[in-house]
Amino acid sequence: MRFLLINHVQNAHQSLKNSRIRSALTMLGIAIGVASVTTILALSGGASKIVSDQVNSLGGNIAVIRPGVTDQSMININSQIQPNHNYATSTLTENDILSIKDTPHIQAVAPIMVLSGSIKADSMAPIGSSIVASTPQLADISDLKLSQGQFLDDSVNQNTAVIGTQLSINVFGTELSLGKTITIRGQSFVIIGVLKTTNNPINYNSIDFDNAVIINFAYGKTLNQKVTQIQQINIKADSITNLSQIIIDINKSLLKNHAGEKDFSVLTGDQIAQPTSQLFYAIAGAMTTIAAVSLVVGGIGIMNIMLVTVAERTREIGIRKALGASNSDIMSQFLIESLSLSIGGGVIGYIIGYLLAFGTSTFLTFDPIINWQIAVVAIIISAVMGTLFGLYPAIRAARKDPIESLHQYD
Amino acid sequence: MSETKIPPVIRLKDLKKRFGIGDAENFALNGIDLTIKKGEFVAIMGPSGCGKTTLLNILGLLDQSIDGDYELDGQPVVSISKRRQARIRSRQIGFIFQNFNLVSRLNVIENVALPLIYKGITRTKRLIIASDILRNFHLNEREYYMPHQLSGGQIQRVAIARALVNEPSIILADEPTGNLDSRSSHVIMEELSDLHKRGNTIIMVTHNPRLTTYASRVITMTDGKIETDTKTTILKRKTSKAKHSPNPRHHNKRASKSRGNKK
Repeated sequence: MRFLLINHVQNAHQSLKNSRIRSALTMLGIAIGVASVTTILALSGGASKIVSDQVNSLGGNIAVIRPGVTDQSMININSQIQPNHNYATSTLTENDILSIKDTPHIQAVAPIMVLSGSIKADSMAPIGSSIVASTPQLADISDLKLSQGQFLDDSVNQNTAVIGTQLSINVFGTELSLGKTITIRGQSFVIIGVLKTTNNPINYNSIDFDNAVIINFAYGKTLNQKVTQIQQINIKADSITNLSQIIIDINKSLLKNHAGEKDFSVLTGDQIAQPTSQLFYAIAGAMTTIAAVSLVVGGIGIMNIMLVTVAERTREIGIRKALGASNSDIMSQFLIESLSLSIGGGVIGYIIGYLLAFGTSTFLTFDPIINWQIAVVAIIISAVMGTLFGLYPAIRAARKDPIESLHQYD
Repeated sequence: MSETKIPPVIRLKDLKKRFGIGDAENFALNGIDLTIKKGEFVAIMGPSGCGKTTLLNILGLLDQSIDGDYELDGQPVVSISKRRQARIRSRQIGFIFQNFNLVSRLNVIENVALPLIYKGITRTKRLIIASDILRNFHLNEREYYMPHQLSGGQIQRVAIARALVNEPSIILADEPTGNLDSRSSHVIMEELSDLHKRGNTIIMVTHNPRLTTYASRVITMTDGKIETDTKTTILKRKTSKAKHSPNPRHHNKRASKSRGNKK
């Protein structure tokens, strides 16, 4: 039986070789479907990997407090497509920051307040640049490094700012902007530091630090008509083991501050990355549906071609049966032929998919992910397609009457 | 009488093959009684449409919807599963078709090796065996030709080589020389009678009365019935019974009786 299988494979190879163009066109349908699946999986995998890598690289002792209860369902996707800077009012208050600071085992606290407003120097900053008001500890928690100068600290003047590399280039035309003056919401700030390029616009702060200017938290509040508008509070525990205790403590004290109203959420680890990866999974899901349609069309193409092949080879089927082939021999012969079509298409699609993914990623800030799961998914999809759509033609071939088949002319 | 102790290779009893239903009912075979023993060379003659090819297809287990009894090697065919029937076709029966029936997309050696696939022989071994048998037919220089590149006589020799590659005990030939000139026919018939001499059972359907000289037994058929049978006629003459319309049942009884004794 093992030899028979090898023979069927050889036979399929030969018959596909005999009709090269036809086989290639048939494979194309499956190839397109598998290619889109591969591209989607590689890119979305790469995107969500970035965020979780960030969280991991920060040591895993980071927690994030966000206003409102984070909705884990997919319905919330639309609001997450825009970075969540535009909350009407945040439920987090300065009082909360103080309570958090009092919690034991806290190493650093950094509230983040994203302001809207104009940034101007030699030229206007493009839309998408952010004004971030935070405390000096942000550098520690979010692992921000400087290429020049220093980060904000308690000793520097209020009207000083740290600028991201890209924003510096955008407004000053150079990344060497130390000591220059920038106008934010009409107020002048002196640049005391330039951030190193981070090159990851997708992160748990929802801020592209390359394109942001960071100012003092207190002064940011002054700029914002003395209203605090906290988008997020980042905290860092002194060790991972204490993190869970901290979360319990913070939940308790914040609940007290908010008069028992649970209008905030404390997130750790993968939860932080979730909104971002959820978004990508949703997009991936939608794209996969489209890919599934092209796969079904490709599968129908295979079935069509296999039916034609069976009709063309009716006489051969008759001969083979007369020479001792059983029904299952004939069936597996044609099934393996359709399988080799679909798996061939799958392999081609997998390669095209990665070419596409790498091509696209040159326009994106992250690389596609390469792992065995995607390869397995591609092979399984194509094998299932080949079996599903090859079964009917194969059964038809197997059921042909040998005598009638022998009477058919070539 | 020792030959009767082994069960006959083929035993047909009141075999009928019906086509159509109701008013359109039509018997292609209408009550055939026939016993063929191992090593016989039977030529079946008769006009077109008398059921020769149908009979051959039934003997070769290609046609299963029959009425009546068919015992192959003493075993009723109805009791054999389809899978085992395919196995019998693969190992015991060799087909030679009138219109050759080579697979046009395979070359000569692959065509000859085709039956070996279903015996589960590896590709290399298959090609060696096929090459050996092609040498016997002086076709070893044509191994990699495609069927359409060969002459009619060569194609039929390939077809015979293919029928013999499994070393079958029964060879069913449907007008093996039907499309050939007399010289090629002669070559083919020499091959067949050679096979017969080596102890194979050969059943051949033919139109050509001259070819019956190679056979050890000649059966003529009309309208789905056996009209004459040289063997039973001789027997009948010996037993001085009626001249025409042979009754093979007489012979069958003897065969079954002796088989019963053996058991």
